[in-house]
Amino acid sequence: MTRRLSALILAVLVSGAAAADQSKAWDILREIVLVPGVSGHEGPVSDFIQQRLPAGFKAQRDGMHNVWFTVGSGKPHILFVAHSDELGWVVDKITPEGRLRVKRGGGLLPETAEARSVLIHTARGPVSGIVAPRPGYDERRQQADVPEAPFTAENFDIFLGVSTEAEARALGVAEGDPITPKKVLVDFAPGLMASRAIDDRAGCAALLDAALRLKSDAFRGKTVTFAWDVQEETGLIGAAELAKTLKPDFVFAIDTFVSTDSPLESKRFGYLPVGKGAVLRAVDSSNVTPKTEIRKVMAIAIKRGIPVQIGNSRGGNDGSVFLSGGAVDIPLSWPGSYAHSLIEKIDRRDLEALSDLILAVISDWK
Amino acid sequence: MNDRITKRTGLLLALACLAAGSLRAEDVRSLTKAVFSIPSTTGNEDLLAGKIRGLLPRGLAIEEDGLGTVALRFRGSGGPTFLFAALDGYGHMVSGITPEGYLTLDRPSAPPHARFDAYLLGQPVVVSTARGPVQGVVSQPAMHLLTQERRKTLVENFSLENAFIDIGVRSEREARDKGVELLDAVTFWPALTELAGEKWSGPSLGQKAVAAVLVAVAGSLAKEPPRGETVIAWAAQTKAAARGHGARPALGALRAKTKWNPGRTVVVDVIAAGKDGTAPVLGKGPVLVLAKDEPAALRQAFERAAAGAGIACQFLAAADSPLALPFAGPQSEVLTVALPVQFLHTPSEVVDLGDLEALRDLIEKYLRLGGRQ
Repeated sequence: MTRRLSALILAVLVSGAAAADQSKAWDILREIVLVPGVSGHEGPVSDFIQQRLPAGFKAQRDGMHNVWFTVGSGKPHILFVAHSDELGWVVDKITPEGRLRVKRGGGLLPETAEARSVLIHTARGPVSGIVAPRPGYDERRQQADVPEAPFTAENFDIFLGVSTEAEARALGVAEGDPITPKKVLVDFAPGLMASRAIDDRAGCAALLDAALRLKSDAFRGKTVTFAWDVQEETGLIGAAELAKTLKPDFVFAIDTFVSTDSPLESKRFGYLPVGKGAVLRAVDSSNVTPKTEIRKVMAIAIKRGIPVQIGNSRGGNDGSVFLSGGAVDIPLSWPGSYAHSLIEKIDRRDLEALSDLILAVISDWK
Repeated sequence: MNDRITKRTGLLLALACLAAGSLRAEDVRSLTKAVFSIPSTTGNEDLLAGKIRGLLPRGLAIEEDGLGTVALRFRGSGGPTFLFAALDGYGHMVSGITPEGYLTLDRPSAPPHARFDAYLLGQPVVVSTARGPVQGVVSQPAMHLLTQERRKTLVENFSLENAFIDIGVRSEREARDKGVELLDAVTFWPALTELAGEKWSGPSLGQKAVAAVLVAVAGSLAKEPPRGETVIAWAAQTKAAARGHGARPALGALRAKTKWNPGRTVVVDVIAAGKDGTAPVLGKGPVLVLAKDEPAALRQAFERAAAGAGIACQFLAAADSPLALPFAGPQSEVLTVALPVQFLHTPSEVVDLGDLEALRDLIEKYLRLGGRQ
């Protein structure tokens, strides 16, 4: 009886430990991806992250809403950084007809927002709107040989359902309010989805998940900083602010790998299939990772049995801001199809491999 | 004492009327929500037809035309008055499955305008298979990899040639294992957006709202039958044009004309709103559309019904639509009564809920008055 009870207690303890070690990155992602955080307006995302950080880790937050915490001491100093902002627009002006003109947020194809729902995040809560289709969208063009004016953020407007500026303001809408496309979670299958803002909420989720699973013996003899920075999409601005005070030896930017795993892309480069593991983004538009560091990461991944792919693609990463301070930039990713779209695609296995890889690097990096 | 009772009774009656009014207001809204998310494109109307059948009053025989049209007859003297709305909306269908498991697309009918296909780019969609809905996305190029040349080809000149639906599989076999087959309907993600000013927005919302109006009218007629014989129909294949010489009527309408051969037809349709100074606008009531050189009696009956019920209407002179064409002729009357829809035939059609309820009230009032007077 005593033996049975002991065995039962042991089983419960083991299963409890295993449960605590189980990645929750996917569940975190499905929540955090829906939190609005247009560049310069990341407060709600920073709140989300800060509220979920492990008890006992003293988080810091600056006026820009960069959030970070540091554990351990000694060398090397390793920094992991994921950006919390997302693509979107900001209300520039309310017209006398109650429509909104916007400031360009950059990065999204305006054509994919045409005649689509958006949310204006006002001080009083979200207000729904529609990006009005281009004038004459349903009419035969009179001069087919004259190129059509492009559909851009500068020339589209947002319809709220009202017809005067006063009515729009009565809804709480004001200049400077951030605007996001209305997000949809497309579930292809369990563990495979698409949504707006996977870039870089997946990075945020993987990093938060790793922080929640971090054990104190993993960072013995080294300094590890976890950071969620802002305004990456508008020029790595949050990272630049962090770089004024943080001087890491190694920086692991956690961000999308722009994969060509799509029917519309050439497979000449960037073809890292979705579902085949985390990614070491060896070469991108802002950084070339030294081969020595690539080998170190791969050795750790192989030792731990973590699936990791290596590739080169386009786009910049926050780690590159720390290069001039003496850091080595080693971006880690997941393969992301349809980057900077409403339908960014991600596989749960890749996300969990990324979280595992972060923990393995913390533990094994020298 | 009697005065008190009368006052109380009056108050109770007023409250009851208010409650009934509120219930009625809810009615067409909830019906619209009930049918909104049901995909229905030309040739793939069966799900919506089934849903409407389920919403119709029990005990009345449903008539069909073999093409997918559903109709309900209310017996009465004279007539019949034939009311009908489209069951199908514009949409796409699966035309092929690539070896990599991507779906290619075609349309069952001509698009309503040249930009219609372009709204697919980079959007979530639903593929309606025999085994249920399959979620997917229409591929778009990654922004980081987009050159000027590729932007021109893949974005500015996006066409069905470049449209591939990703349903998260890697092979044709996996796609088929999900239940996907050729001709399955492909529709935009059915997200209903509630805007300020009592307006709703969503893909194919106008057509669904109009179908819901006729369901509401059918429910009302079941409780209190109309004076004249009335047939209410939800017609399939109205976006496909009948072929042949001359004007091309909607196939579903032509079929309905053959099947029911009504002398008096009310086409309940959608109409583009807010386009320019002369077009109908949202929130100003249903639109009565009358073609030139046609008898005005039906329109006058509707005008009287509107005036009697205090319903504001808008008026438009226009040629007969493909829906009305088969019913126009020397021996018959036809009138189109339309719901104004802003951003018509885009993924975000906007309707005004006041217009929606006024359309239902107007049709009911007309039927209660018994048509011609």
